Amino acid sequence: MTLAERVKAVHARARVRRWEYRQRNLAHGAWGRFRAALTHACEVYAIDDATAAALLAEGFAADDRGQGLEPPRTLVWITAERAAYLVDARPLAIRLDAELLAARCLALVPFP
Amino acid sequence: MGGAWGTFATQPEHAHVGRLAWYTYWVTFRDRLLATLRAIQPILDVRGVLVAGSEVPNLLEANAATTLVVSQDVDLAIPIAVHEEVKARLDQITRLVPSSDEPSVWVPRPEAAELIEVNFIGLDPAIVEPMETYEKQDDRLPLMVFGPLSLLTAGAVVEIDGLRIPLPQPAGLALEKLVSDRTGEKGDRDLLVVAGLLAVMTPSDYEHLERGYLGLPIELRHQVRSNLSILSLLDARPGMPDPRAQRPAVDALVRRLEPR
Repeated sequence: MTLAERVKAVHARARVRRWEYRQRNLAHGAWGRFRAALTHACEVYAIDDATAAALLAEGFAADDRGQGLEPPRTLVWITAERAAYLVDARPLAIRLDAELLAARCLALVPFP
Repeated sequence: MGGAWGTFATQPEHAHVGRLAWYTYWVTFRDRLLATLRAIQPILDVRGVLVAGSEVPNLLEANAATTLVVSQDVDLAIPIAVHEEVKARLDQITRLVPSSDEPSVWVPRPEAAELIEVNFIGLDPAIVEPMETYEKQDDRLPLMVFGPLSLLTAGAVVEIDGLRIPLPQPAGLALEKLVSDRTGEKGDRDLLVVAGLLAVMTPSDYEHLERGYLGLPIELRHQVRSNLSILSLLDARPGMPDPRAQRPAVDALVRRLEPR
């Protein structure tokens, strides 16, 4: 690849980046928003719908950054103390692997 | 395995051939890198020239220990203001020659096979956007002038056995890597290099990074945060800093950088 071709490739990627930036709040930006939420979690648990509903009823905060995926993911921020009392919750490695993506509801514990 | 870059996930891929072979591999690559830099010392001595790219963390390690797995080349950032001065010194480079495929890349002569390739890239302080990247045509030393390289600022000059190696400040290097588009394995490894830099950056370095970030166009700020989120979800790779150990630092940095 010549320098001129490399420059064209860099420009093309920059145009794609601009296009992606404009979609950051639209459907195309869903993955970026989901990643942004996970960035602030030091622990993540897979929970069921009933547990998610119970946590929300207890006053823990919902995070809509999982709603752009299909099916939508319910994200709930909880405390480390509350996480210790979760029933039937599976701790997950914090990466976009099959196990995390299979979970419809996630309880997230923020970094202290 | 531990090292200058904090926790390493496991030993490098070469570990399976035994500790001696692993040791020999790293010593050899360190020697090759330093021999290459020695071969281009006249260029390194030009004011403003910096070693850039993924070899920088290797050189920032104590005594340039060179423990990260990166490609076998080294980037030289050439400010366009000293392009002519650099060209005037090219005749002093005797152990490498321009590649016939791409004259901005210099390759070892056959009798200097222990050296690695040198990539000459241009730095123009007037631009920062990737979109502003341009080709500086020249018969002797053409350069790709990459916008985000202007985020590099001069840092330490590492001296090893009489060799003087001008390096950029870690914050600028981290920002440059976070601004650039990252794809595939190379992209992930570049972000792992950022993880290594975050592990050794001082509070002052973090302030430097934040100041640089605030000077970026809004799209590039978004790119920085997006790349940090990718970094925070990366898995470990052999021979590279373990990004999982840097998740708290990434969390704190993103909090500093998020729009208020």
